[in-house]
Amino acid sequence: MAETRQVTNGKVGAVLVVGAGIGGMQAALDLANAGFHVTLVEETTAIGGRMAQLDKTFPTNDCSMCTISPKLIEVDKHLNVDVVTGADVVGAEGEAGDFRVKVLKRPRFVDLDKCNACGDCIEKCPVAVPSEFDEGTMDRKAIFKRYPQAIPGSMAISKADRPPCVLSCPAHVNCQGYIALIGERKFAEAYALIRERNPFPAACGRICHHPCESQCNRRELDEAVAVNPLKRFVADWVAQRRAAGDDPAPPPVGEIDPSKPRVAVIGGGPAGLTAARDLALRGYPVTLFEAHDKLGGAMRLGVPGYRLPDAMLDRDIADVLAAGFEVKTGKALGRDFTLDGLKEEGYRAAFLSIGCTRPAPLARSTDGSEMRGIDLEGVLPGLDFLRDVKLGKAPGLRGKTVVIGGGNVAIDVAMTAKRQGADSVEIVCLESRDAMPAHAWEIRDAEEEGIVLNPGWGPKEILGTGGKATGITLQRCVRVFDDQGRFAPEFSGEVSETAADRVIIAIGQRSDFSFLAAADPLWDESKRFIRADRRTLQTNVDWIFAGGDMATGPASVVEAVAHGHEAAESIDRFLRGEDLAAGRPTWDATPAPAPAREFPLKDRAVPERLPLDRRAGFAEIEQTLDEESAVAEARRCLACGICSECGQCVAACGAGAIVHDMLPEEVTLEVGSIVLAPGFQPFDPLQRGEYGYGRCQNVVTSLEFERILSASGPYQGHVLRPSDRNEPKRVAWIQCVGSRDAQTGNEYCSGVCCMYAVKEAIMAVDHVPGLEATIFYNDLRAYGKGFEAYYEGAKTKYGVRFHRGIISAVKERQQTKNLVLAYVADDGEATEEEFDLVVLSVGLRPSASTARLAETLGVAVDRFGFCRTDALAPSRTSREGIFVAGAFAAPMDIPETVMTASGAAAMAGELLHEARGTRIREKSYPEERDVGGEPPRVGVFVCRCGTNIARTVEVGDVVEYAQSLPNVVYAEENLYTCSTDTQTRITRTILEHHLNRVVVASCTPRTHEPLFQETLREAGLNKHLFEMANIRDQCSWVHFNQPEQATSKAKDLVRMAVARAATLRPFQDVLLDVDQRAIVLGAGLAGLTAAVSLAEQGFDVSLLERDAEPGGIARQIRHTLQGPDPRQHLEELIRRVDESPRVKLYTGATLDDFSGHVGKFKATIRQGDRITEVGGGAVVVATGGAPYEPQEYGYGQSDRVITQLELEARLADPGFAEGLREVVMIQCVGSREPERPYCSRVCCQEAVKNSLAIKQANPDARVFVLFRDVRTYGFDELHYQRAREAGVIFLRFEPESKPVVEFAGGLTVRVVDDVLRRPVELRPDLVVLSAAIRPDPQAEAVSHALKVPLNADGFFLEAHMKLRPLDFPTDGIFLAGLAHAPKSMAESISQALGAAARAATVLSKPVMYRSGVISEVDPAHCAACLTCVRLCPYDVPTVGENGVAYIEPASCQGCGVCAAACPRKAIVTRHYRDDQMIAKVDVLFGDVRFEAACPAVAQAGGKQ
Amino acid sequence: MAVSYYPGCSLHAMASEYDESLRAVCEALDVELAELADWNCCGASSAHFVDDELAIRLPARNMAIADRAGNDLLIPCSACFLRLKYADKELRSDPARWIDGPYRGETTIYHVNEFFDRPALMASIAARVERPLAGLAGVAYYGCMSQRPPKITDAPSPENPVSMDHLLRAIGMEVRPWSYKTDCCGASLTLTRPDVIHKLSGDLFEAAREAGAECLVTDCPMCQSNLDTRQAEIEARRGTRYDLPVFYVTELMALSFGDGRTARWWKKHFVDPVPLLRSKGLAGAE
Repeated sequence: MAETRQVTNGKVGAVLVVGAGIGGMQAALDLANAGFHVTLVEETTAIGGRMAQLDKTFPTNDCSMCTISPKLIEVDKHLNVDVVTGADVVGAEGEAGDFRVKVLKRPRFVDLDKCNACGDCIEKCPVAVPSEFDEGTMDRKAIFKRYPQAIPGSMAISKADRPPCVLSCPAHVNCQGYIALIGERKFAEAYALIRERNPFPAACGRICHHPCESQCNRRELDEAVAVNPLKRFVADWVAQRRAAGDDPAPPPVGEIDPSKPRVAVIGGGPAGLTAARDLALRGYPVTLFEAHDKLGGAMRLGVPGYRLPDAMLDRDIADVLAAGFEVKTGKALGRDFTLDGLKEEGYRAAFLSIGCTRPAPLARSTDGSEMRGIDLEGVLPGLDFLRDVKLGKAPGLRGKTVVIGGGNVAIDVAMTAKRQGADSVEIVCLESRDAMPAHAWEIRDAEEEGIVLNPGWGPKEILGTGGKATGITLQRCVRVFDDQGRFAPEFSGEVSETAADRVIIAIGQRSDFSFLAAADPLWDESKRFIRADRRTLQTNVDWIFAGGDMATGPASVVEAVAHGHEAAESIDRFLRGEDLAAGRPTWDATPAPAPAREFPLKDRAVPERLPLDRRAGFAEIEQTLDEESAVAEARRCLACGICSECGQCVAACGAGAIVHDMLPEEVTLEVGSIVLAPGFQPFDPLQRGEYGYGRCQNVVTSLEFERILSASGPYQGHVLRPSDRNEPKRVAWIQCVGSRDAQTGNEYCSGVCCMYAVKEAIMAVDHVPGLEATIFYNDLRAYGKGFEAYYEGAKTKYGVRFHRGIISAVKERQQTKNLVLAYVADDGEATEEEFDLVVLSVGLRPSASTARLAETLGVAVDRFGFCRTDALAPSRTSREGIFVAGAFAAPMDIPETVMTASGAAAMAGELLHEARGTRIREKSYPEERDVGGEPPRVGVFVCRCGTNIARTVEVGDVVEYAQSLPNVVYAEENLYTCSTDTQTRITRTILEHHLNRVVVASCTPRTHEPLFQETLREAGLNKHLFEMANIRDQCSWVHFNQPEQATSKAKDLVRMAVARAATLRPFQDVLLDVDQRAIVLGAGLAGLTAAVSLAEQGFDVSLLERDAEPGGIARQIRHTLQGPDPRQHLEELIRRVDESPRVKLYTGATLDDFSGHVGKFKATIRQGDRITEVGGGAVVVATGGAPYEPQEYGYGQSDRVITQLELEARLADPGFAEGLREVVMIQCVGSREPERPYCSRVCCQEAVKNSLAIKQANPDARVFVLFRDVRTYGFDELHYQRAREAGVIFLRFEPESKPVVEFAGGLTVRVVDDVLRRPVELRPDLVVLSAAIRPDPQAEAVSHALKVPLNADGFFLEAHMKLRPLDFPTDGIFLAGLAHAPKSMAESISQALGAAARAATVLSKPVMYRSGVISEVDPAHCAACLTCVRLCPYDVPTVGENGVAYIEPASCQGCGVCAAACPRKAIVTRHYRDDQMIAKVDVLFGDVRFEAACPAVAQAGGKQ
Repeated sequence: MAVSYYPGCSLHAMASEYDESLRAVCEALDVELAELADWNCCGASSAHFVDDELAIRLPARNMAIADRAGNDLLIPCSACFLRLKYADKELRSDPARWIDGPYRGETTIYHVNEFFDRPALMASIAARVERPLAGLAGVAYYGCMSQRPPKITDAPSPENPVSMDHLLRAIGMEVRPWSYKTDCCGASLTLTRPDVIHKLSGDLFEAAREAGAECLVTDCPMCQSNLDTRQAEIEARRGTRYDLPVFYVTELMALSFGDGRTARWWKKHFVDPVPLLRSKGLAGAE
């Protein structure tokens, strides 16, 4: 159907649905199936919403995941639903019919088109974070799939901002990344990751000043993670392995391209070595010049051996040299070569990094004059001293050494002096102790070794006798820096003297610029420095770059390394003629905060230190962490950045799908309407601190308990408690946590908690035999269809204890972690009871992101944040064209969410009906090849699924085996058979090899069969010529530790699939013409609403009403609790029906006959003598219910005992209430009784409504409501509260002691009050009975005529209580209103709209396709035994006039029940013919004589 | 740092060891305590039960003095704290009703735990610890009045306060988790209904023992005296020995700072803490 663009009245035939939970999915599918294009935007990374998190669903105990998962796939595969996950709506312009909506897609960091969901990356990822889907009950990885069945199946990566460790590291080493890898014992990977940014892991692991640690977020908790000791640990681990002859982390080697320009690096310290390595790895021919004999610069000559032994440095340098650059040692710039000379030799760029090798002289005395005594023997510069010690040239020391200076070098000098034999060492410096530039831990080390600190003094004069130093005169320094922070020491008059045999000056160092001539262009203006650009390190001379200490002044190794990287990048750009600065990453971002969750305190690992008495010589003081301490320490990391970007996933991904630098993307969508279904978030129980949530491990939320129950949850479906993983035997549920709660501002009832608690209790008992479940509740609100029976069943069949009363506090026993609950027992005594586990039944509320969404869209919300709607227009928001569904409208359960979702779809459909079909995509396929007569030519594609299958199953063997099988003409293996490029390949192979059957051996047909069938169609083959073997879920996954047997089983599965494939026959889907009109049965509120909506959506409607007037039971409702006038609403609906040219109302009409199937129904109507036949493609059953006429409480004996409906009529007279003195209302009259064991749902609201009406008219009237449970669910709770505030008195009674109404001696009501525990006698002037709602008396007749079922209570039974609440098992027939179950007007309206939307999915196209997998009768064999007629769950087979069974193709669901049961084998189900199934069995069992074992099957098999 | 100090009657009499230890701690931390000039009774325990007007006027006068002094106000007694918080709230909404002249309302009222549990002071506390109370296991008991009602006390986490836990951890103590941090000890009924005390305080001792505590620590003088003085009698009634010294948090802070004056405070305790401290090597120094 190529519908061209029609007149659309400026409306866009596309809809945006926000939120892809069950509500959003339902709305999307209804709209897409009714001819609109849908974009489904979801905040998280997968569709499915809350329902996917649930274990089972009430009241049928169906597995939630099993129920929802076909829906997920339907959404995923729908041609006209675009799913956009990880996205938010950030703006909407325009108006109803024509919106432009901005959607911001957050980066997923995984390419959806490439990821095949194999999960190989997940195994490699070292970062674990609490799983949102599992409510934190278990962890997931930073790269993850939200849940196993998630759609889209693609992975996603969670990232926060960069962690502070990475940002604060000058070289931006990926600290979090390597720590995470260490935590996973991936030491070689960790080492390689460090080495990417820091070529000196062993050296820096010892001497780095680790700014990362001082920024670590863990400090807020206890202490910083020992980042540097961890780096040292991996470096030493790798060294150990290498020493043992194994290199787990070979250094990267550059592929030098001799044609590239040559680069000179001058200076072999950390900056120069880093630059040379980086450039060599980029392929440049590099020469490094070093003045000394050995490489390493200050790392070698300036750092004492007790901190960094030369051997460690040599290891690092060896790795650096492996990159492949030339080294010329003993070559000093200015002495042995010049920069101009380099240029002449052909070097096109040079990096200068000559360090600061000249000690700063102590030039001036504290009095400003030239320093005296500087030339005395025994006075020497610190840097020279350290170098000479390293080179073995330093003198031995005796006596007392005084070191001048307060920096790192001064400390190094002092501790070295001690090792060189000095008897005592004193440090003198200008700064106060706190202000010394040396690091605190260095000072501590020095003091520990007995070095004396003498801070706050400046040298005035070095004293000496006989040309030898003997001491120093010192002057008290009162201030070192001036207000501007410049070095400008001030001294007081105080003077002291200290003796010294040696004076070593360590007050700073500079670069040696002696190689520069006075006029050299490299000089900056001051002629004291070489100026290099801070970002690019380029100097005044374009081809010369400068970095390291010479650019910064004396700094740290890691800063020099950073310069080396930057210089390499700049030189690379320079040589390629690119802009040096553009687009370089900036690192001044805000660091990620610590993750907002609880972490246990844990002490930092402290490396062992050499004891003082063993510190002779230059043995290393600090030791390396042992492996266990290192792993434990690494696991202290909070993983602030979440994903650490360690690169493990990139390496693991065979599909190349990981994109770490993916950016957010904003798209603008043109849509005609918006449906909001953002759902809810559970109440945060931390707001109710008294329940101990977050403190007591065994207090969990109900949603956490769902995960605990779930087989995919933290304990694989075993019910265990968190503290000790033991099975709990006593479990308590506390209801109304965050509901009906004025303290937290959530006064409404969350509507679903009672039932889910009952379900959870049942499931818990089911899981753990003997488990004692107790539910502490306020009112047990089992008001929905089938709920009351479920609740009763929990009590009687499962022994669940229900205790009325809310717990005030939960106390934890510290030894057992059991929980003590105090409550008032049935006898009125305060009681304490101990439980093993407590579940908090948390309420529902809109999330913070929902609040933002509403604000963005300008949609009004109520004070709780729920969407503001009108009671009689429940899907309409305050902004025209935007509709609401599900729990954003009000707390509601799954079926109601589905109903409101369909209802919202109907509203959108009404708005946009002119544009229906204008934006949809249709796909055309090449004409199908006729394969009849061809011998089977089977192609087999065996999937490796990354490593998912291949690591267990020998895929190559399976392919080879497949090639040997009969009929197989082609077989191959694929890395991912489902990938897009493999689909192209399959199509090509089909054509090239003239295949007429295809077998894929991979994962599950549940998700993937439609994809491959599509590929067949694209190659011109009938889609039924396809067969799948599940060698992953049912083979490699379950037999992961038995690879040989798994391979053998995979071969079996492939053999079976090939055998069946050969028997497959092409056939087509069933094409049906659709009569695009509707039939609506019943013109009450629901029927009228459905009819009007269908008419508004552009369909003609025949509306049948039994009574003479439309309106039904709603005529008796005069006011609503929420405000709007129901009678006005009803009149308006009737007027619209009367005026609509599309609706034909038949009143006084009964259904004489009904026939047909989806797309073509026929109803014969009798109106008196007049018979009319009407047709339609879809039918809505809205035949209503009826009020129960009470037999109890003397109803009918006195006009002072009336029903609520009668009271409502009387209250229409304004004077009536004024005359009342006292009224007693009795609830549950005829409901929750053995003959009517259901709750009539609306009576509590009715009682509240009428009580309030009485109180409003006559505040003095006393009103008593005698109830069993007040079931004012949702926002009606607020009215219940209002009624109590107005003085209405609610008295609870037990069903065993019902109220007694007596007439003798005046009207008397006696009841035993549950709270007072004593009889109460009331003397009202009126007793009002809240009478049940019962099924319509003619429901049974309609049920027979339409062949649709009723439930045990006599209401119509929907196709599925959770997900198909508006459908019947028979396609094309839908259900709404009281015919379904008792409900409020708003709910009837919502359902009726929903039924209209469901009907529109049938009516929107002139033809429809239905699966061709149906059962067919061979008339020649049919014996008309009626077996099929009796067994068909859909009532399809009939025996017609020709005396044989007939199965209407349009109605058949293809379930195969009839074919299996037919005693004459006269029925076959297409695609599952006996021969097709037996073929599999035959080849499985090989030459086993199957025929002999089962002659009947053999006979049947032989026949086909 | 200077702070106004409202000792109330307790700290001048019954709880003088609380006063002394608080002063010692403040001195060690360079916190200057300036006792409010001419302060009067807060009205707790009698006035606020009998006269709504007096219930505000008495503390309001103190708040007016504190307001003029300009510094934040430290109130170690929970009852005083609550009364003055009430008054402060009233004064902020309608000062003219209660006092002459303006009310700036810039004074923050602190109870002891919350006062010290602030980043700068916690850092100095950590720096001042000389003898970490390692091996001493106790429970932090906050009582009710410094926490409830939260709309008056502004307690950040009234069901599970953590400030004292932080303090005790900072001085090296092993703080045992328990669920009874703010359960009532019954102090206000200590004279009129000893039977209630026996139940409420007795349950606290049971819970503390079950939690593995060797002592209770509090910052409320009513709780301290109630739990300390009634303990022997409850032990006799329940036929058990708890032997749980009840410390003021400031006493333990001073002990960890190496203060030499602790011994004279221990003498004021009914449950002698010395054997416990001695067993942990914490009592020998003085």
